Amino acid sequence: MINILTGIDSTSAALNAERIRMDVVSQNIANVNTSRGPDGKPYQRQQVVFESVLKDQVELGATPGSAAHLVRASRVESALRPPRLVHQPGHPDADADGMVAMPNINIHEEMIDLMAASRAYEANLSVVKTARGMAQQTLSIGKR
Amino acid sequence: MIDGMFNQSNYVAAKKLLDVTALRQEAIASNLANVETPHYKRVDIAPVFATELRQAITSGDPARLGETQPRLATDFTAISQRKDGNTVDLESELLRMNQNYVEHQLETQLVSSMMLRLRLAITGRPA
Repeated sequence: MINILTGIDSTSAALNAERIRMDVVSQNIANVNTSRGPDGKPYQRQQVVFESVLKDQVELGATPGSAAHLVRASRVESALRPPRLVHQPGHPDADADGMVAMPNINIHEEMIDLMAASRAYEANLSVVKTARGMAQQTLSIGKR
Repeated sequence: MIDGMFNQSNYVAAKKLLDVTALRQEAIASNLANVETPHYKRVDIAPVFATELRQAITSGDPARLGETQPRLATDFTAISQRKDGNTVDLESELLRMNQNYVEHQLETQLVSSMMLRLRLAITGRPA
């Protein structure tokens, strides 16, 4: 398979992975105060795990033995931190001492994660732009 | 006659370097895709290729120049500055990408101008 835009498969895999990460972050922010999930426990912070994959192992047209990598969001895992305890007597989910177990989410951490994901997304978009410019230059070989 | 034109070592070298810039773009795309992947090590053109290319150019043999094969390899000289063992540095990677873009522009113009010169010789007028 000829690939006019070099490296575009790595980039599209990365855009995909960063998008999944942003989705998970927004899910965490949305559930920052969810003290009861479907299982009756407070919501747990979800985090995406990125994994690099050798391109020639997943793609048919890739050069064998090439060191180029793709990236994928291999799994989404729950953070293992203990829940945040907030004193809120009268809350339906409060225990005998009036403490409510809130999700183990730190909103600042989520905002930083969101910014990092969007910067990485931008960096990959600029790779697409450059690859496009290079393809155009290549196509103009032999023209005046 | 025309073979002589396309076998000039300058032309062959320009073509080879065009391949190199395309391959390096692939390496940079891979590095920037994995900028947040733990334990990822950045890849680049294998350093052995630079030596091979230099030797081929010094030998002045276009056939030998055409046989050199650029390939990607893990860059073991890069040092990780992060806790996750990833050796990609976003800024320097973007800089390399822009540098590579300009190099690609240079090589395309070189190859192009050689062809235009050939056309000028054939037709006797600028293309």
